[in-house]
Parts: sequence; C-alpha cells; structure tokens
Amino acid sequence: MLAWIPRGLRMGRVTTRYPQAPEHPPPGFRGQVRVLDSSPAPAELAAICPTGAIGAGSDRRLALDRGRCILCGACVRAAPERFAFEERFETAARERRALIEPAQRAPAAAASAPARARPPLGQRARPLRRSIHVRHIDCGSDGAEEWEIQALWNPYYDIQRLGFFLTNSPRHADVLIVTGGVTEPLRAPLERTWALMGEPKALIAAGTDACSGGLAAQSGLVAGGVDRVLPVDVYVPGSPPPPVALLDGLLKAVGLLRERSAMRAARALGRSRPRRGR
Amino acid sequence: MTLSSLRNVPTSFLPKHLGAEPLAGAPGELWLRVTPLSFERTCHLLSRAGARFITLLATDGGRDEREPTAHGKHERGLVAALALRGHLLAVHAPRPAAEPVRYGSLGAWWPAARWAEQELVERGLAAPVGYAASRPLARPDASRLERRVEGLDVFAIPYGPVRSGIFEAIQFQIETGGENVLAVTTRPYFKHRGLERRFAGLDPDRAVHVAERIAGTASVAYACAFAQAVERALGVEPPPAAQRWRALHAELERLASHLDVIAKEAETAALYVAQARFQILKEQVMRLRAELCGSRFGRGLVVPGGVRAAGGIGPEPLLRALDLLEAEFERDSRRLLATASMTDRLLGAGRLDRELVERHCAVGPVARGSGLSIDARHERPYGEYRRVGVRVICERAGDAMARVNVRLREIRESLRIARATLDRLRRGEAALCAPLPDRASGAAFGWAEAPAGEVVVWAELREGVLANVHIASPSLRNWALFEHAFGDDVLTDFAFIEHSFGLTPAGADR
Repeated sequence: MLAWIPRGLRMGRVTTRYPQAPEHPPPGFRGQVRVLDSSPAPAELAAICPTGAIGAGSDRRLALDRGRCILCGACVRAAPERFAFEERFETAARERRALIEPAQRAPAAAASAPARARPPLGQRARPLRRSIHVRHIDCGSDGAEEWEIQALWNPYYDIQRLGFFLTNSPRHADVLIVTGGVTEPLRAPLERTWALMGEPKALIAAGTDACSGGLAAQSGLVAGGVDRVLPVDVYVPGSPPPPVALLDGLLKAVGLLRERSAMRAARALGRSRPRRGR
Repeated sequence: MTLSSLRNVPTSFLPKHLGAEPLAGAPGELWLRVTPLSFERTCHLLSRAGARFITLLATDGGRDEREPTAHGKHERGLVAALALRGHLLAVHAPRPAAEPVRYGSLGAWWPAARWAEQELVERGLAAPVGYAASRPLARPDASRLERRVEGLDVFAIPYGPVRSGIFEAIQFQIETGGENVLAVTTRPYFKHRGLERRFAGLDPDRAVHVAERIAGTASVAYACAFAQAVERALGVEPPPAAQRWRALHAELERLASHLDVIAKEAETAALYVAQARFQILKEQVMRLRAELCGSRFGRGLVVPGGVRAAGGIGPEPLLRALDLLEAEFERDSRRLLATASMTDRLLGAGRLDRELVERHCAVGPVARGSGLSIDARHERPYGEYRRVGVRVICERAGDAMARVNVRLREIRESLRIARATLDRLRRGEAALCAPLPDRASGAAFGWAEAPAGEVVVWAELREGVLANVHIASPSLRNWALFEHAFGDDVLTDFAFIEHSFGLTPAGADR
C-alpha cells in the first residue's frame, strides 16, 4: 500500500496551470467551426449540415449555429472557402444567441460577457472564498461528455485546485452540469434535481446534444436541448467539448454565481445594488 | 443482398434437417430463407448446434420487390443474425407490409433474444407467439418499482437513472434485505434517442457521423462496423493504409476504455493514487488520439471507403509514446495486482458461470472473463486484423477480477497490435479512401470489436443513400446478463461489478 506513495510522486507535476496560463490545442484539433465568408449563400449549402446548423441570419447572411454543430466537417469539406475548423478549446457562452457564428453586430448579443464589465478571467479564477460543488446529470448523452467531465478531476486538469468539488447530492450543489438533449423519461428527474438545488445555482448545458438536441433533435424523442426544459446559464457546445472547454464553462458559471450571491446578499441587507468589491 | 448459389463454402458445420438451403450473402454471410412458421425451429436447431445470438431485426427490402439491386433481389423480412463457426448466419423470414409478422417467440427459450424481440414488438413489426413481457421497454418510468422478491424485510432500492458521480443514465432496481443483494433488475432505454432511424436519407459520408455518436466512447468501433457494412453492401474494399489507420485508432480506443475501467475500479476501492495513475495513462492516450486525428475520440476519421486523412504525427514519435505508455502501465498494473485491498474487492465478486454466459450470448471482456473465447477480430477477421493475428485473451474465474485481468492483458495485446500496424504503415501506400459506386443499392452486415464487445451493423442502401440501419450493440446483450452476476454479493460490491462489465447505456439504448 505504501508503495503507491513514491509511485505517485515519481512523475512530478502534470497539472495544467490553466486558467492562469493558456492551454493550446494540438495542431489540427477540431475545436469549433468558423465562418470565413458570411455573404448570402445558396440553399444547397445549408442542406449539407446533418443537424441543420447552417442557415441564414436575420440579415440573410450565412450563419452557423455552434449549438447545433457536431463538428463533423461536412461543411468544411464542401465549402472550404466559407468554413474552416478552428483550433480552440474555449467554446462556452452565456447566451444561446452568442453561439451563432459569426457573432451578430447588436451589442446585446455580443460575445459572451454580460453587460457589466467583468474582471479578467485570471482574476476571477483566484482561489475562491467559497468552494463550488458540482453535480452532474445525464439526460441522454452518447457517453463521451461524461468521460470529459470525469477528466476534469484527473491529475492533468485537477479542478479541485480551483475549488471545484464533485457532490452526489443536489442539495449540496451549486452548479448542475447537464449532458444530453433531454429524453422524455429523464425530463422529470432533471426537473426534480434542479428544484432540489438551493440558490444561488447555475446550470451548464455541456455538449452539443445539451445545447440543441444534436443529431437526435429531429427524432421527437428528445426535448431539443436543456433550455427547452430549464433555464440554461452557460452553454458549452462541442462533440464532446474537451475538458478545457468545460472548465472554461465552469469558470463562467462561477462568475455568474458570484454575481447572484452578491445580489442576494444585497437584497437581504435592503440594498438595490451589490456593494462594490464583492 | 446477394442471393447467389453457394460455391466453395463448406456448410457441413450447419445442423442437418434445417429445411433451408444456405445462400451466400456478402462475404462471410450465409442466408437461410425460411417461412415465419419454421423461423423459430430453425433458430432453435442452430442454437443447439452452438450458434450465438447476435440480434433480431426487420429488413425493409427494395421499394419494388421486383426491382433488382446491386446484389440481387431484396426482400422485406424478419432476420435473426447468429454467429456460428466463424460465419454470420442470417435466418430470414418474409414479413407482410401492413401488419406484424407472426412467428414462434425466440425470447421464450433464448434469454439473449428477449430485449431485441421486445423492441420489434413495441415497434409493431413482430407478433411472436408465446411471448410475454413483464413491462414495456420504451419510455421507462423511473418511479415505478417492480418487486421480484417477496419478504417482510426485503426492500427495493431504485438506483438510477440519476446516478451518484458522473455516470450515464440507467436504472437498477436492487432488492436487498440490507446487505445481501437478492435481485437486480436492469432497466435501460432511458436514453433512447432513436438514432437508428436517423440514418435514413443520409449519404454514407454523413451517415457515419450518426454511427460515431451512438456510443460516444466507442466511436471508432461503431464507425468501422458501419463503414464495413456499407463497403460490403457495395462491394468496396478500403485500401490497406486506411485499414491500418482504422486498426490503430480502434486499438487506441480500446486502450482508453480499458484504462478507464481500471481507474474506476481503483477509485471504488479508494485506491486514489492508483486511480490517478491510470487516469494519467488514459489522458495520455486521449491526447495522442487528438494529435493523430483532431478528435480525442477518433471522430471524423473513419468514412465508408477508407479514412479521411492520415495521422497528424509520424510513426516514430507515436512509437516512442506507446513505448513510454507501456513502461508506465506495466509498473502500475504490477503494483495494482499486488495491492491486496484492491484484489480482495474484486476476487469472487460478480461471478458468472461459463454456461450462463453462453446461454445469454454475451460478448467482449464479460464473456472472455468467463472462459468464452469470443472476439470479432479473431472469429470473423476484418480489415487489418486479417493480416495481424489477434490473440484472444481469456480468463476462467468469471469474477470481477477475471474481467479486470482480461482488460489488463488486452491492453498489452492492443499495444502489440498498434506497434505491428504502425510498422506496416511506415512502409505503406498513400491511398486512403476508395470511392463508393454512384447511386448504388445493396445491403449487408458489418462488424467490429468495440471495447465492450462485438458490435454488428446492418445497413441497407437505396440509390446511394441509407434506408434501413440496425445496430446490435454489445452493451445491450451484456446488460441483460448483469442481473445474474449477483450471487452472494453484498451491496458494496455493486459498483465493482458494474465497472467490471464496462458497458455503455448509450450504446444499448441508441
């Protein structure tokens, strides 16, 4: 038994320093699809996508919904002058419309930062005064997202060092990570799990299936994304999203939790706005 | 499907008095055309001869039954796919268009066939005589308990579909008096997404992405089985380099899956350093896969006809990475097997008799841990495995320790196969993909050995697009065996036994 101790120490540190230091995907990594040329396109181009992620935006320009994209690459192969893979880990967004690529011009839907200016990511990821407990529920994923979420607690990512802990009880949880597009038999368990969690809480839809139903959306057997059932706070698209993408999503959720926690405290004290610095 | 007369295929292994002449389908397939009345009897004779049940499916047939396809006439039917002596036998009975086909129930005497048969019943395609199901499979109600054990002090724990930890959704109803597990009822189908129907209308190039996402942790195996079904239906052989890349990625996938099982067993035994060590090894494999093809799960690589691209790192760095991995793995596994607190939990837990496993037609490490020498790479070699021989790893004890040992030894065998494949890739040819014939029709089976066992895919193509696809997942067949693994085990053994099975609910539910 004791022999495991030197074995554990032997390799030294493998843990990433993300988010203090960036993590770079390997060359050729398919992180997300970028739209290179969004001029209006013929309808046949949209028909290429097996999940219907390609369409025309409100201004008739070509748009790709990353929340539906399963990273199959059919569009990149068919029209490489219009679509390209991007080597990128971070894919999370706070709003569903922020997943539409290219980002719309309207300021309300710009990028993934909330309206208020937030301190930079590195500062937000400082050791938290309050640790975050994470609960996972599977609502119809293909099993790959679970592997990637499990990987967050492996020595390479080790999100315990950032204060994230896994909990088995929804009562104890601050963040609920949902995978899968929500099949009918799992809808009630999902709603019940969310209802049991105490405020402030945040919900992360992990994976393209959770964002939009993915390939199963047309089957009528899934709700078509977690946001058809519950309000989603952070969307992390990907098929599946790699651990760094999930970590980025978790950190965005943490920022949200801090805001909500501060708002609750302010309301309790009769203030209309949270005190600066909290 | 090809229905030509048999030439040079020995059929002496088939039992006598079958009442049907075997016909050749695609290479390796033998078709027995029977009537619905003699369907059950034929399957029974074959099972007595040692056939292994794979799946029961409904074929669509051509739009017009007189319309010739690439391989001959195509007929709507009920098909039982069985494995016998290295052949894939398809027992085919025609079925009417407008109503479910009546035939003698297979599930009444063959436990392995129950769920597959029930699926067809619930889809309205089959009406087996003598069939009785206690509860519907589709849309299970998580709050509904069925008790199998009577007793004042026996209570039932519905474990799932929401699990503790990060696991897929499936429900187990565990009946216990407090310590001893008296009965377990496995209830899959919580995650049924209807993906088999999703193939219809897609061309093979895009349809393979559906196949990849049925069981996400076995993307390469399912994609290979699907691609092979399409290739065999259309008479296309992928180039040797493509077969080698497929084999390499399939073995890397097997490595990741087996390392995952061992890490989970270590975690359940509270051996956290061992868990961390095996998680490190698994993460190294996943990163290797990402460097090779841009996806940690090997997605986007396999396509009917071949592979889309060659590897992103050269053979030398890859070999070095595999060598390092093996050296670390050897030390860790030696230490793991020497740690009594680990092996004590596994030895004797979840024992499965060989005879029981055979009756349930289990596959994969579950079957091999009980002494059955079943491996699709060896039984019906496909792709590069025809050139690289595969040693089938078996253990006799049938308990969780045996299944873990099978995986530990298979990791070594996978590394050996990966090296042999890389060797051939080094001096290899450049062609990566053979073109598929334009707007072609055909139907065939394809198979591959996924980490959990053999996956078999039936694909029908009509004028270049997929029409009817059926997936026989190893997890579905093996989940049916799970409840029989509890002999004198206690509640705390449950997690060890479940992890030793290493199954995926997503593959079973589709």
